Amino acid sequence: MAMREIRSALITNNPVTQQILGICSALAVSTSVATALTMSMALTAVLCTSNVIISSIRHHIPPSIRLIVQITIIASLVIVTDQILQAYAFELSRQLSIFVGLIVTNCLVLGRAEAFASRNPVGPSAIDGLANALGYSLILLLVGTVREVLGQGTWFAMTVFPLASNGGWFEPIGLMTLAPSAYFVIGFLIWAIRSKRRDLVERTGYGLRREELSDD
Amino acid sequence: MTDIFFTAVFSENLALSFFLGICTFLAVSQRVDTAFGLGIAVIVIQTITVTANAFVYHALLAPGAWSWAGLPDLDLSYLALIAFIGIIAAMVQITEMVLDRYLPVLHRALGIFLPLITVNCAILGGSLFMVEREYTIGEAAIFGFSSGFGWALAIIAFAAIRERIRYSDMPNGLNGLGSAFLITGLLSLGFAAFAGAAG
Amino acid sequence: MQERKYQSPGFLARSNDDPAKVFGVAISVALTCSLLVSGATAYLRPVQEANLAAEREARMAAMVDAVPGLRDIIAESGADGLETRMVDLSTGQFVPGAETAGFDYDAAASSEDIATTIPGDRDLARLRTRPSQIPVNIVEKDGELLLVVLPMRGRGYQSVISAVMALESDLTTVAALRILEQAETAGLGARIETPEWQASWVGKQVAGTDGTIMIDVVRGGASTSFEVDGISGATVTSQGVANMVRYWLGDHGFGPFIERLRAEGG
Repeated sequence: MAMREIRSALITNNPVTQQILGICSALAVSTSVATALTMSMALTAVLCTSNVIISSIRHHIPPSIRLIVQITIIASLVIVTDQILQAYAFELSRQLSIFVGLIVTNCLVLGRAEAFASRNPVGPSAIDGLANALGYSLILLLVGTVREVLGQGTWFAMTVFPLASNGGWFEPIGLMTLAPSAYFVIGFLIWAIRSKRRDLVERTGYGLRREELSDD
Repeated sequence: MTDIFFTAVFSENLALSFFLGICTFLAVSQRVDTAFGLGIAVIVIQTITVTANAFVYHALLAPGAWSWAGLPDLDLSYLALIAFIGIIAAMVQITEMVLDRYLPVLHRALGIFLPLITVNCAILGGSLFMVEREYTIGEAAIFGFSSGFGWALAIIAFAAIRERIRYSDMPNGLNGLGSAFLITGLLSLGFAAFAGAAG
Repeated sequence: MQERKYQSPGFLARSNDDPAKVFGVAISVALTCSLLVSGATAYLRPVQEANLAAEREARMAAMVDAVPGLRDIIAESGADGLETRMVDLSTGQFVPGAETAGFDYDAAASSEDIATTIPGDRDLARLRTRPSQIPVNIVEKDGELLLVVLPMRGRGYQSVISAVMALESDLTTVAALRILEQAETAGLGARIETPEWQASWVGKQVAGTDGTIMIDVVRGGASTSFEVDGISGATVTSQGVANMVRYWLGDHGFGPFIERLRAEGG
């Protein structure tokens, strides 16, 4: 069961490319693989822990204050994660800037807490958290790899393509270090996934229409 | 002051260069009129919350904020995140109630968007940038307004483009989400080109 | 166990709509979370501060390494590094016997006793106040000045940039510029920290022959020895560095000190 969950979250039901959840932070820190990996680990830690905690106290969260309790728990976990990064991964936490803090409003974390952890037992919630975090990490690392290799000719700061300025042949693509490239890379990624898996293409557009929103 | 405005609107647009609030940006941009409503709501809430958060940060959380009470070494800035979230939720709630009471027309137009805004990264991100960039309260108010304005401008432009391309014949895999990302990328390039306007 | 039957139901067994339980849960969540967060912060703070201190030291060391031969000169001179002297900015004189170890710029710039307010029209670096006395580093050999290392602060686009600039013995040629701390936009303004950009300052002239400050950051195509290329896409940050340098070398900054060194030859 666990394997199926994970496989589904990696490809067919990937939170980033299929549900457009949590991409805000996913894109901003994808300029290099190292920051992408740190961000992935931070998000995995927060998502799994918050799912487990919320699931274990799910019978005792009064519905009236459900959201605020969830946000408080998530925010505390994020602050602790941020402090740990500042203490033990100082350089990287500098580069991640405010984006670790923004895990709080990451739709993915709150979304999984609300949609899954608040109504399922601890075990499945942990697996659900892990699966979604892995799906997120996969996309983030892919985008990070593309941007770092094409933008700087390196991968994890190891030279992949020797730069022309250092006597090699590779002329780095400056655009890859700038924000728009993240959108292009993820757009092409979605195109690639959906060309392979026709069933994933949405039929009538996605998202909420005004009528649907006001029903809520 | 004007440089804060221009950079926050164009070259450092929250949605297009910092990817903030993109979930909502992609989900609520099918039509120009809804995008317009959401944009206005973001401007209002962003201006209010960044200013309020700047006030709370300087009065309570910043290092040395308690020196009047004989606690000059107290540094509560690590609580900023959780305080900001609480203040944003409270401000959204209060705005909703005030609009409902005094401006029912506006409340009907914006009401459905307000809950969405509480968990919008752009709003929290605006406040976190305010701390990181060490804005004073006055600068924070300007930054709040202009970053909200930039976000609104981006989503309205994006919705207008999407309305135009709804019936275009695109490769199958590119329909919907794929093309939305590519268009946002182009929009982001376009906004970045205004970088020089900030001087 | 037997007695429990007669009591009201245990707290956890209460209905989730019971106001007492709502309050109880809210308060216990708040308490647990605040304990967790404060505990983690208090526990980790020493490590974080050590990180910051180590970073500052590493950059100072990088500064020493960046100037060709500086480490050799220091080693030859037998001194254990740079000599640090406190300078009174308004007079340009050394302050005899002043304590320089543990100098805290921020504390000094905000303390009412030792800070100086910068007049608005001269506040190029947008700092509002600065300490009236600042320690500088000096490398001398046989009584001859080799390098003077001046600390600088200035507001960039979104953060206060902290830097040091080393001037050669002619007091106008830049030997090195090092950005020590900044929190500018990642990928744009933050590129002032790259070795390439910092290296582009080396060998530039800060002042003309008559002593006026000429150094500036220009947008593309620096042509004279007074011009440094800005970072494309980060005009505000680049200009912030330029203004910082111009302020601190000007007569409200280290101007009088430099003037005195030039007149006295150290």
